[in-house]
Amino acid sequence: MSGLESFGTAGGDWRSIARDAATGREDEAPVVLRELLVFRLSDSSYAMPVDRVREIVRLRAMTPVPRVPDEVRGVITLRGEVVQVIDLRMRLALATAEPSRHTRIIVLHGEDDRVTGVLVDAVREVVRVPEEELRPATGGEGDAVAELFLSGEEFVSIVDLDRVLEFRGDE
Amino acid sequence: MAARRKKARKSKAQREFVSEAEETLEGMREGLADLMDQRAGLQGDGEVDPELVNRIFRAAHSLKGLAGMFGLEGLSNLAHHLEDVLDGLRLGRVALDSPAVDLLDEAAQLFASLLERVGEADFDEASVAPIDELIGRIDAAVSAQPETADELSGLDLDPALLRALTEYEEHRLRENLRRGRHLYLVDTSFEILAFEEGLAEISEVIRGSGELVSTLPSPGEAPESQIRFSLLVASELPEAELSTQLDFPDTRVRSVGGGSDAGESDAKASASVPVPDPDPADQATTPVELGGELDSLRSISDTVRVDIRKLDELMNLVGELSMQRTQVEQIANRLAEDFATARVGDELGRIHKLFDRKLKELQSGVLDVRMVPLRQVFEKLSRVVRRLRRELSKEVALEFSGADTELDKLIVEQLVDPLMHVVRNAFDHAIEAPEERREAGKAAEGTIFIRAIQRGNHVLIEVQDDGRGIAVERVRELAEARDLIDPEDVLSDKEILDLVFEPGFSTRESVTETSGRGVGMDVVRTNLAALGGMVELSTEPGRGTTVSLTLPITLAIIQALIVGVGDQRYAIPLNSVLETLSVDVEAIQRSEGRELLNLRGDALPLRRLADEFELDSSCEDAKRFVVVLGLGDRRMGLVVDTLEGQQDTVIKPIQGPIQQVRGIAGATEQGDGGAILVIDVASIVDETVRRRDAA
Repeated sequence: MSGLESFGTAGGDWRSIARDAATGREDEAPVVLRELLVFRLSDSSYAMPVDRVREIVRLRAMTPVPRVPDEVRGVITLRGEVVQVIDLRMRLALATAEPSRHTRIIVLHGEDDRVTGVLVDAVREVVRVPEEELRPATGGEGDAVAELFLSGEEFVSIVDLDRVLEFRGDE
Repeated sequence: MAARRKKARKSKAQREFVSEAEETLEGMREGLADLMDQRAGLQGDGEVDPELVNRIFRAAHSLKGLAGMFGLEGLSNLAHHLEDVLDGLRLGRVALDSPAVDLLDEAAQLFASLLERVGEADFDEASVAPIDELIGRIDAAVSAQPETADELSGLDLDPALLRALTEYEEHRLRENLRRGRHLYLVDTSFEILAFEEGLAEISEVIRGSGELVSTLPSPGEAPESQIRFSLLVASELPEAELSTQLDFPDTRVRSVGGGSDAGESDAKASASVPVPDPDPADQATTPVELGGELDSLRSISDTVRVDIRKLDELMNLVGELSMQRTQVEQIANRLAEDFATARVGDELGRIHKLFDRKLKELQSGVLDVRMVPLRQVFEKLSRVVRRLRRELSKEVALEFSGADTELDKLIVEQLVDPLMHVVRNAFDHAIEAPEERREAGKAAEGTIFIRAIQRGNHVLIEVQDDGRGIAVERVRELAEARDLIDPEDVLSDKEILDLVFEPGFSTRESVTETSGRGVGMDVVRTNLAALGGMVELSTEPGRGTTVSLTLPITLAIIQALIVGVGDQRYAIPLNSVLETLSVDVEAIQRSEGRELLNLRGDALPLRRLADEFELDSSCEDAKRFVVVLGLGDRRMGLVVDTLEGQQDTVIKPIQGPIQQVRGIAGATEQGDGGAILVIDVASIVDETVRRRDAA
């Protein structure tokens, strides 16, 4: 099972970096960094806050659940826990695709029985982005993207997880 | 199925605090109920039982300490003020009939309701106002107490000795004076080396004939190697008689006052003998000597408090082990079938058997730890009934048997509300007024009898009252008036009685405080069904009603039937499966567009799991399997493609954004790492019934 540490080593102790930056010397403007996990969906890059991520696992046997929206692809078991997996492509109204060997399930922390798996095409890296480099999203994609940042030439969309994981009613 | 348990957003420490505080509070409220009874003269001789007050005080003190430890200052402060009132009561500064005593109960209630909210973000702010308000009232009530005149100055005692008395001892002196007892000062001396035995001996004799208020080392002259004591004693006995009884060397009894006729003429011979308690639930209150110091707040015990979640984890591990056991078994069987590997296979099979046996022992051991006796639920009920008795002045006795019957802790927790409801119903509706009972030739006092019996993997709890019973005709009338049935419907008495459990049914037009508003027996049925249990009713008009609750002993591991539809498999809890049938597709009949089966003459409504869950059922066979589900006395058949055997199953909640899926109770992990969904029989049966009603 690949944990966060398998790719997060480059980040080092980001918390202390962020704290140092935030509380930095008085003559410097404090820099607040946001730590984000970048992943692929379709042919674009997306990101989510690292502190929401519990672990990342490979695609595994999924049991479909009746009477739920199609985006809920099914449930998987994780060391005794049974966790719903949400297809992020469907949730963001992108074209569906067959899973590949890069397909991963990002498992998010959840209180009150709300641990959730999110199906993505591939996981890329963890990046630290200064708060000031974030820009508001342009809208679209069901408003599930609130902010963007530029990584090289490419815009990365930061997914609003609370919005993505909100299902109205139980149907 | 109640696999899904609501978790409050509490940290581990907070959970521990709440669990411990709840237990302490529970004991305190029990004590308060006794106190209220004593106050109302229902119990004891109308006098404050000092040990009872001490017990409540200790509980308040523990709560204060606990709350303080967890930084919950509001709660700690509230407990502190409770202590003040109780201390006043102990020391006679607060009279038993003071309004301050009413506030004790209110404070305990507030404490309980605040406990539920510990861990909420705005807890501190939210709790300040009600606590301050109540504390204000407590302070006002306590300070309104009149100062008692000091009768002690009239005693023939050395002022130095009086000053040495604790406040509590002074109070006991006053109390004994008030009751008209004689006060004596007993001077005695013992060998220094053996004074403890001597003191214990004489104290015991004194307690046999009165109360030992205080034991003080005396400064008086004593022979070499001896130590003198002054014992302050209150007794009904005249001086000469006490002197005779205290036949110890070098011992002198001197009357110091009291013994006037001011005391009650009916005062008991000895204050330390408690009046026998009529309530069986109170038998835990053992006679305790008066005048002792507060017992140590620490209780010595060889039990360990364990968070039930830890037990859940253990249970999960056991569940996973038993899945792996299944795989080992399969491998052993495969090996045994092949001639080349038969020997290894047999050997593995033998080891597997041993392993299986140990695993079962482990499983039952873990299950056993989760078991708690029903006693605590019964005690809760007893408290409620006593309160109702006081408030409604209705004479009802509550009796129990089988309080030691054990159930899974989770079930016990969820049983309280439905059981409480049934008991309240009996108290409120079933038991007649005393006059009515006398006219019917019954004892004026009604009786509610609760009995718990274990039957295999189930526990049966019966709540039996000797009230007016339920008139079947009246139920029918009401059911018709509420459109639950048609006047033309032909129903047996039992079917009619069953309507009591339908939503929207209530046999009393008037809503009473006791039985709650708009909550009926339907809630009891729903709650029980959620626990995989059922409720039934039997009644004899004029003689009484019995409500029977049947519950599984545990939810942690259940036997499940695995069924298949298309390429999907599902688990059905075996405790709601009555039987399984293999039927020809042609045997399935239709009526008003719905399918049914002739089951030995009865029409069994059918539902196809493939339709319910929108599955591809590519089953070409002419045969189908019907799983007959029964819940309470409702029956239905679930049509599936295959039956794949039974399995021990640990039901897990399904985590994720969608918190409730109709028809699914949870999931269980399989040996191969996949999951099987567990069907929520209660909701499937419910849907079927509702569909029938809607049609």
